[in-house]
Parts: sequence; C-alpha cells; structure tokens
Amino acid sequence: MNSYNIKINGKEYTIDAVPNMPLLWVIRDIMDLTGTKYGCGSGFCGACTIHLDGKPTRSCITTISTVENKEILTIEGLTLNGFTALQQAWLEEEVPQCGYCQSGQIMSAQAFLNDNPSPSKEAIISHMAGNICRCGTYPRIVKAILKASKMNQSK
Amino acid sequence: MLSRRRFIQLTGIAGGGLTIGIGLMNSCEENVKLSRYNIPKTKNRFSGSYGHYFGEYIQIRKDGEIFINVIKHEMGQGIASGLVGIVADELDADWKKVHIVYSDPIPDMGNSTGGSVSTIKEWYSMRNVGAFARNLFIETAANIWSVSKDICYTKNHKVLRIGSDDEFEFGELVDQVQFPENTDLAPPLKKAKDFKYIGKSFSNKTTPDIIQGKHPYAIDVKLEGMKYASIERAPVFGGTLIDYDSTHVLEVPGVEKVVTIKGMVLDNNSHIRDGIAVIANSTWAAIEGRKLLKATWKDGEKSLIEHKTFLNDAYDIIEGDEKGYTVLAKGNLNALEKADQIITHTYEFPYQHHACMEPLNAIAKYSGTSCELWTGTQSADRIITNIEKKIGLKPKNIKLHCHPSGGGFGLRYFAEHSLEALLVSKACDGDLIKLMYTREDDIKFDYLNPLEINKHSVGIKDGKITSWHLRGVVDNWGGVLGWMIYDIPNRHAEHFGVKGFTQMSAWRSVMANAEGFSTESFIDEVAIALKKDPLEFRLSLLKKGEMVTLNHNYKCNINRIRNALITVARKAKWGKKMPDGWAQGIAVYPYMHGNGYAAAVAEVSTNNNSIKVEKIYIALECGLVINPDFVTKQMEGGVIWALSAFFYGGTEYKAGVVQRSNFHDNQVLRINEVPEIDVCICKSDETEPWGVGEIAGPVTYPAVSNAIFAATGKRIRKLPFTNTF
Repeated sequence: MNSYNIKINGKEYTIDAVPNMPLLWVIRDIMDLTGTKYGCGSGFCGACTIHLDGKPTRSCITTISTVENKEILTIEGLTLNGFTALQQAWLEEEVPQCGYCQSGQIMSAQAFLNDNPSPSKEAIISHMAGNICRCGTYPRIVKAILKASKMNQSK
Repeated sequence: MLSRRRFIQLTGIAGGGLTIGIGLMNSCEENVKLSRYNIPKTKNRFSGSYGHYFGEYIQIRKDGEIFINVIKHEMGQGIASGLVGIVADELDADWKKVHIVYSDPIPDMGNSTGGSVSTIKEWYSMRNVGAFARNLFIETAANIWSVSKDICYTKNHKVLRIGSDDEFEFGELVDQVQFPENTDLAPPLKKAKDFKYIGKSFSNKTTPDIIQGKHPYAIDVKLEGMKYASIERAPVFGGTLIDYDSTHVLEVPGVEKVVTIKGMVLDNNSHIRDGIAVIANSTWAAIEGRKLLKATWKDGEKSLIEHKTFLNDAYDIIEGDEKGYTVLAKGNLNALEKADQIITHTYEFPYQHHACMEPLNAIAKYSGTSCELWTGTQSADRIITNIEKKIGLKPKNIKLHCHPSGGGFGLRYFAEHSLEALLVSKACDGDLIKLMYTREDDIKFDYLNPLEINKHSVGIKDGKITSWHLRGVVDNWGGVLGWMIYDIPNRHAEHFGVKGFTQMSAWRSVMANAEGFSTESFIDEVAIALKKDPLEFRLSLLKKGEMVTLNHNYKCNINRIRNALITVARKAKWGKKMPDGWAQGIAVYPYMHGNGYAAAVAEVSTNNNSIKVEKIYIALECGLVINPDFVTKQMEGGVIWALSAFFYGGTEYKAGVVQRSNFHDNQVLRINEVPEIDVCICKSDETEPWGVGEIAGPVTYPAVSNAIFAATGKRIRKLPFTNTF
C-alpha cells in the first residue's frame, strides 16, 4: 500500500492504494466520484473515460502509480461552472437513454472538441468509435457534438 | 384478480404537504389520517395474470413541487418521464415542478417491467391519479371561494375561476384540502384535444442528471460499512465446487475473507451457480484477490455436449416428422401434404448476450429474519418471491430499494444477482455486501437469448398459396410465437423445446427476433420464387379490415400492419432507382406483446465484397403516442440493437463454457457502423397507447437480410452474418 498525491477536478488529495490499482477504482471507491463508470475494465468500451492532462483517457487501464502530478478531470469536474456547450447540446438533442455510457461519451467528446473546435462529421465519428453505447444513442451523439461545435463558433 | 378492496388514501405528510396514495388499504392503513375513498377498478386491457392494480401515489409539497412515484423500472426506455408526463398532463401541472421518485416495490402492485406493456398498463392509473388530484384542488378552491366548482378550472399549476382574477397556486391549497366526503372518486379525464404534454416531445427528466454523472444507478450506491464481493462461479451450468485454495487470495491487500455459496435452482430455468466469493474493502481488491483463487470444479453433464452436436440435434428435430406442441392452428393442419408445390426454408437465430452497459450488481444485508437489498431490477416481485421461497424470509421483512439501471433489455427481469448478493451476506454472517459482476462475469454468466431455429413451408395448390407451416425449436425459455400474419387459409405453428447449455431469459423483443427474421425472410423468398414484388406480394396477403387472433390476447390488426408497410414503402420510395451495388429490402412484423406494428425498409450498399447498411426507414403503428421523441429513440435504439445481433451476435460453447468474455469478442455496433435511421410514427386515431420498446428489432433483421439478397443474390438464413463474401 502506497501513498499518492493526486489532483482531481482542481483539488489535491492524498490517498492510499496499491500501485496497480486502476484510477477508475480510486475515483469510484475511494473518492466516491461515481459519475465515472465501470463498463469493461479493459479499455474496450470507454465508459470510464476521464481527462488526464486534458487527454481523453481510459481510467480502467490507467494505474494510480502513473497519474501523480497530472490533472485529472471527471464528469463531476466538467460541470463545476455550469453546463458546457457540449452538455447543453446533449440536453437539447435528448441524447441519453439508460445514460450509463454517457459520462464517458461526453468526456471523450469534450476532450475532442477542446482540441478540434469545428470538426467534420467524419472526424467526430472516427474519434467517438472507442465509446460503446448499447441503447443506440449514436445518431444523437453525432448531432450533439456538431451542435456544440456550432454553439462554440457563434460565441 | 382483485382479492382485496383497494382504496384511495389522502394523508398529510411530515413537514406539510399532501400525499395521494391509491393503494392497498391494509398495507398502508396506519397512514390514513383523513379519509378514504373507494376507487373503481381501472379499465384494463388485459385479463388473468395481467390484472393490474393501482399502486402509484403523488406527493405535493407546499412549495408546489410534485413528486410522482414510478413503479416501473427505468432502464433507458424513458418510462419514468413518460408516466410522470401522463400524470402532469391530467393534473395541469407545470412540467418544471414535477419530479420522478423511483418507487420501492409496493406489495401486490405488479412490480415488474417487461413485454413493452408499462405505458399500456399505467395509462389509466396515472391519468386517474392526476385527475383525482386536479379535482381535489378544484373542489378545495371552490370551497374557499364559496362558488360552484363548475366555474373553476386548472391551468399551469393553478386553480382559476371564470369571471374573476382570483387564483391559487397548487402549493397554496395543499394544507387546505378538505377531502369532502362527496368528492368525485373518478373525475372525468381530459379529452385528447386538451392534452398539454401528451403527444408532444416533452423533455426527459433523467437527462440533466445523466449528463452530470448523477443518475442514481444501483452500482453507484455506497453505504457505511459496505464490503465488496466478486464471485468465482462454476464455469459450467450445473457444475459443483469440489475444493478451493484461498491462501494467496488472503495475501492481497484489502481482501478480508473468502466464503462459498451453494448453488440452487430457483425455478425451472432460473439457477444460482456454486460460487466462491472474495470479500474486500474495494472492488479492485476483490477482483485482484479472485485472480489468485485456485478452485476445482466438477463440471457435470453440460460440459459433455459439443455446441455443434447440439445444433445438429436441433436441426434433426426441425427436419424430422415428430409432432410438436401446436401454438397456432387455423384451418386444415394437413393441407401442406396436399399441395402441388412446397417452398420450404430453415432459419437460425443464435444465442445473444445482453451486455448491458451497467454490469449486474446488487447490495444486500442479511439479518437472520429480515434483509435489505439495493439493486436495479425489472422484477422486484421475482426477487421477493425467490427470497421467500429459497431463503425463507417473509416478504414483509424484505426491504428492497429499487434503482434505475444502465440497460435491462430483459436480463434484469431475473433475480439471480440479488439472491447471490444475499447468500454472500448470509455466508458472511450478515455483512453488508456489494456484489459486483465484472464484465467477464456479466458475459459468461449471462442468461442468454434462446437459440431458435424456424422451418417455414408454404404449400401452393392450383396457383394459390393454401397452407403455411412453421416448426420452431427454442432453447428452454419462452416458446414459438406463431404470429403468422398472412392470410393463408391453413396455418400451423409447432413448438419444440430443447435444453441447451445454460438457462435462457428475456432479451429485448424475445422470440419476435427469431421469428421476425425467419418469417419476413421467408415471405421474401416466396415472393421472389413466385416472381412477385415483395411489397405487392405482402399486401396481397394482408386482408383489409381483418382482426386476427394469433396466439395472443390482443387481436392482430391487419389494417395497422398494412398502413405501417405502405407508409414505410412511401417514405423509402420503394422500388426507386438505386446506385450500382445498392438495393432495398422490406419487412413488416407485429409485436403482439405490446400491440404494435412496425415495417422497415433497409438500404444496403456493396463494395469490394463487403456490405454496408446505409439507411433504415421504420414506420410504426403504436396507438396514441405519449411522447414522439421517446418513441423515436426506441426505434433508433431498437434498430441499432438488432444490427449488433445481425453482424456480431451469437455465442460459442466449448465443453459447456461460454467462450466470449468482453467487448472485444462479444462486439456490439459502434458509432462508425450506424446507418442513417429515419423514423415515421403513423398518425393514429387510437385513444390508448401501445408498447414500443421491442418493436423495431424484429423488422430490422429481415429488412437488412432481404436488401442484401437484392444486392448480391445471397440469402442469409443464419445469423450472425459475417460481413464479407
């Protein structure tokens, strides 16, 4: 058991964990931030996506020993200053069904939009192909990301 | 079915407010403070075991905020907001001021969600609740104003009256409700033209929580003193634990103990496996510890069957002449033998995994004579019944907290994960246990969609189709549906049950998946064999004005089927010129459990020997529509669900063990594989809603398959379809 200093959603914490504990379980079981979801544990589905220094990252295959001194952002941190344009678009397009994959979808899409403010539909689809949704919200995910990119441009 | 009298109850609530409960008098009697009203039995479209009870209630606070208990399980289908919308409309409530409460089960109230019947079953009870509350507010305001209630009316969370500017907010009236003894017990319901929300795409109440990661799934519940469990189960169904060694497990930091649970049969096809549970202070420690477990199992007889042998046996039954259980019989059952020409083909729909995004999980605490559980379930009733039957606790001592789920699709209709969690808690002398399925557990121990093989034959005599015969083999859950919609004088469906490798269960659209695929692929083959246009051929066999009984309480409305088919053909411009390598396919099928009808046209392209589904048009007849956007989402989701099964479905057994384990070997559709989906909800003069959750899949498979045939000349009679030639 080691002690780690981590920074989540702008705040610093010291936690005790074994070095190979995936960040996902630190976030969920130790930090009680349950917006980040367990879906597959192997990086296949994207439900656990968070931002690590701004990059969309699968927290289920990222161990705690590799994230010290890095900025971790979860879905809870995304909303600290109200909904982002992306979340607003998500709301307007009524994207979710069961909602379980949606934190990961939003975190993947947000990181992408931060780097690519006006992506093509093809680029959106290519980037989002790592996130699985079983309810079939995919068509609306594309619409919401396109809408958010337009909202950002008109600001 | 109503064995006891049921009563409306009106009670004050702690801190001020009004609760209107419509429920069992003897289960809530202590809450009845002010008055009781008998309520007439709800109008009910079902009979027998579908008999439905009132069980919902609403709570209205002095600040006007309204909380509506939803007894049906929210798992992504939008039922919670849909039902709240019905109450809000009838009550003339402000949409912003109504809220969902996920109800714990209420005894005898039908705490089950499935079959696409939630909206149908709750339609009148939710409206009655709203109308009753609205009328109470009107009566109360009229009393305060000393005027006739006939000049008072409600609008947007207020009571107003004609000829005056006086008004009351609902919240202002809460403490003044007088519950007059002569109140109208069944006040008139709104006319359809006055609906404010119903028929419009009101927002989904769950969306704001979901996009912030705050939706209250069971997997996110954390309780004081809770421990985490991960179970190593008998790899083969019916296998037993011989011995295990947990020495190294206990060396893993965070692991506290290891216990065993003994498998049990819950009912004919519901079963808990022998298991070894690793208990730890985090999910990760439990999973890590489990990896070091050494266990010896006796695999049992299911390990001796080879998958291929089992399939061959099933085909032998289909091709043989043994008589099955007759599901549907119309006309002369021997007509096929007298035909001049017989066209016959056999279709296979394989096992399917659910792979809900939220893996199964449950929290349980066993306390000797009572227990408490937290889980997401489509059937709280089934959990309670099984705990009573198998663990011996009285239902009144079983406290179950129901949470919304990250997908259900039929899997969560079953009780095993809750029972397992409770058995682990019992084995741990009453520890509060959170049982987590890993994704691998969720796939390997999934209660699959049953394999179904269908052999269709039509007999042609004197140039006319005179008989239609379906033989179906189904693996140990449900049975052949026999929804044979076409107007062929002699129709016969036979069911054969076989027992495969594990237990089966409900999987979105149940047997309509296999039979929609087989029936609508077959009718396409017959049309082509007879050199007829597939659309014209279908319409020629769908008799206008018919209401046909097809092995279901509902009669099948052929006009609605025709209209769905004609509508989708018009939308897709059936028969239009397509680019080279492209083609269309068409299909129509009822979903009798939800009394709805859908038709689809698929457009596919071929390129370098690979197939791409470009576009799916869906038209559906689903009665009165509560929320068009929710219906559209169910169509989009149903199409994508079916395409996953079409391209990637199935599973493989080796020595009785499921070989798939996660999303790499049990693939589902990803965003880059999704076609354009165009949904058309047919305008309807029906006055009641039908079910829509399972209507899209059964027509998607055959529409795509028929389009692939039209494009390539290759007929798909077995799924999954491998996307290369």
